[in-house]
Amino acid sequence: MEAEIRKVGIISCSGESIAEGTISRLATRRVLETLRPGRTVTICLPLFVAGDEGERNFAKTHPTVAVDGCPKQCARWGTEQHSGPVSGALVVSEILGTSAAGCSRSSRDASDVDKEAVRTVAEHIATEVDRILAEEPVRPESG
Amino acid sequence: MNGDGETNAKPVLVIPCSGIGKVHGLISREATYLVTDQLAPGKTDTLCLGLLVKGDDEAVAAIKSQPCITIDGCPKACAEKNVRLAGGFDARAVQVTDAFKKHRGAEPGTATDLTEDGWAIAGDVAREVADEALQIRGEKEDL
Repeated sequence: MEAEIRKVGIISCSGESIAEGTISRLATRRVLETLRPGRTVTICLPLFVAGDEGERNFAKTHPTVAVDGCPKQCARWGTEQHSGPVSGALVVSEILGTSAAGCSRSSRDASDVDKEAVRTVAEHIATEVDRILAEEPVRPESG
Repeated sequence: MNGDGETNAKPVLVIPCSGIGKVHGLISREATYLVTDQLAPGKTDTLCLGLLVKGDDEAVAAIKSQPCITIDGCPKACAEKNVRLAGGFDARAVQVTDAFKKHRGAEPGTATDLTEDGWAIAGDVAREVADEALQIRGEKEDL
């Protein structure tokens, strides 16, 4: 019997008003593409909140990590409102502190400071994914 | 202008979907920054869509008192829907997919990085949105 490969859903706030929102988005993409490919998926927060059943059902049946730019935690709120408690919650401004002050909202011509901020937050997300997968019971593959 | 004659003095809010799964979402986001930071600074501003869908009092009050232009990456139109659900005032909706029609065969990049093609499409979307914003404010200019 093969063990089912569980995936963790990462929900980024992608807040447009602040650089931390851009960092949340790019760090999530980095985890999907580079750090934990095949073990993670992402969910569009606005689509999720607008009522897409596919996205909501995934978040109901899989562990999720909310990645928010600021303490208002819109991604966490939206996920828990529609699909239940998240398995992990990260806040970029708490991870980076004042080092986010020099970051840009646009990803064009990203500086070394921007890139380092994304790398740091992505590592935190990957660590959270590993913790969650280690704690998840291994379930037999259906069918 | 709204009924009390004050709306034109406030920045036009440009709100992208920032969809995280496809390049179209990144184009919507970068087009927004081109408008608010380069083409029409001071005359336009942006707002976190996540904050709006959460129902944040300040965000909801802003979209009810300021004209909004939404930029959506796909026909699900999450930005437009969420602004209207929150009671958005004078929302105008722009679709990134429409801009692709002028760029047949373009390779715009990914949800993480835009190519020069992608930046060209973002520029087209940005000029359209900035033009709309100036018309709304009664300040039509050649961009």
